[in-house]
Amino acid sequence: MPGKFETFAALHVPGDPLVLYNIWDVGSAHAVVAAGARALATGSHPVAVANGWPDGQNVPIDFALANARRIVQAVEIPLTVDFEGAYSTSPTVGGENCARLKETGAVGCNFEDQVIGGEGVHPLDLQVRRIAAIREAVGNDFFINARTDIVLKAEACDDALIEEVVERGNAFADAGASGFFVPRLSEPGQVERVVREVPLPLNLIAFPGAPDKKVWADAGVARISHGPFPHRALMKTLEEMARQAIS
Amino acid sequence: MSKFETFARLHVAGEPLVLFNAWDPGSAQAIAKSGARAIATGSASVSMANGFADGEAVPLELALANAGRIASAVELPVTIDFEGGYSTHRDGLVANARRLAETGAIGCNFEDQVVGTDRIYDIVEQVARISAFRQGVGDNFFINARTDLFLKAKPAAHDHLLADQAIERALAYADSGASGFFIPGLSDLLLVERITSAVSLPVNAMHLPGGPARADWASAGIARVSHGPFPYMAMQEWLQEEARAALA
Repeated sequence: MPGKFETFAALHVPGDPLVLYNIWDVGSAHAVVAAGARALATGSHPVAVANGWPDGQNVPIDFALANARRIVQAVEIPLTVDFEGAYSTSPTVGGENCARLKETGAVGCNFEDQVIGGEGVHPLDLQVRRIAAIREAVGNDFFINARTDIVLKAEACDDALIEEVVERGNAFADAGASGFFVPRLSEPGQVERVVREVPLPLNLIAFPGAPDKKVWADAGVARISHGPFPHRALMKTLEEMARQAIS
Repeated sequence: MSKFETFARLHVAGEPLVLFNAWDPGSAQAIAKSGARAIATGSASVSMANGFADGEAVPLELALANAGRIASAVELPVTIDFEGGYSTHRDGLVANARRLAETGAIGCNFEDQVVGTDRIYDIVEQVARISAFRQGVGDNFFINARTDLFLKAKPAAHDHLLADQAIERALAYADSGASGFFIPGLSDLLLVERITSAVSLPVNAMHLPGGPARADWASAGIARVSHGPFPYMAMQEWLQEEARAALA
């Protein structure tokens, strides 16, 4: 029988994407499992705001790891954790931190290239060294979903930017990434090109107003996650319900 | 006016403070935005959100850290459902109560069941426990003394005799330093009124889906209506439906 990692990796099928409805704690994990999910993914933003911190590695790493461990112990299905920038720009320390994350029982993580607390994204050569160090530290049975934030950070997504996205995707693949995550990439023609030119399963975020999942599936997407939107919608609902009860 | 004083004054018999229970800083902020005047946690909600059973299975350190984060995340007064204070002896209660007050919370629920058993402390024991708790938190802290008499008995057994036992407890709890009296599980409004008429402490009822309306609680002399685990459970149901739609 395949392990949780193999199960999770096999769910990434271009054209028939794994849908991840992002969670933040054990309770939300239980709700999403009950909804029929095949895997779970945390979002760093909801984990942060649910617990009173701003996003961007303000959640103490020990809290993030303890939260991941509690979720793993509460559910049967694979969990991947949004680990932001692995809490270090140093490849070695980032690798050690990801090894600690693997010890919680999580089968994978998101690992992003933005400069947390700063401007823009890390130079490609540094990001490649960071990913390679993580791969060395976690071994083969861990799904590194390498994320680029260049589309997120850009005002417009033109062909030149897609060129850079493709360059990063290929370099991340060579460095040992298991998947490629491009938040805010959306336009089906551009999605198709990234799918064609990068040899990794592609993950997009379903944001409010995003194309239908079928459109992205047809463009070859292998994984669709929901980022901060489930938590945001839930808190909006809670606020309305509380208003009714209180007024 | 301090947060504690603001909170204490919100307890008005016949015009109840409504508390829609939170479990983490995010839920507390959402409830604060809805126009709430104070924030209360529910221990069952905190337990479920973090993967523990209710009944002090949430480690004390996690419970206190969560309380501190909630108190820092909102401007409103925060009261914490602190179950049985995580101790069965006096020194432990004094110490835990002090630590709870240090989180920035200005009040708590403190119950009279022996956590993890079917037993309720007898009055003498519980009075000593409340007085230890008061010693730990000082004067500026709202101890909402809860009796579990009505949760431990079937609704059919909620009668005058049980109400009179509750009244006896409320009077003793008031003398030992309680600020409020909490009667979860009781929905018989005549019995509620019997209690509120006999007790000087503000009385807290727990709202149940399908239970008495707020106006009915108000008419029965209730000063505070809280929602226990029900907001959390409703949110879980909502999230599950949203997830099912997204995953389909």
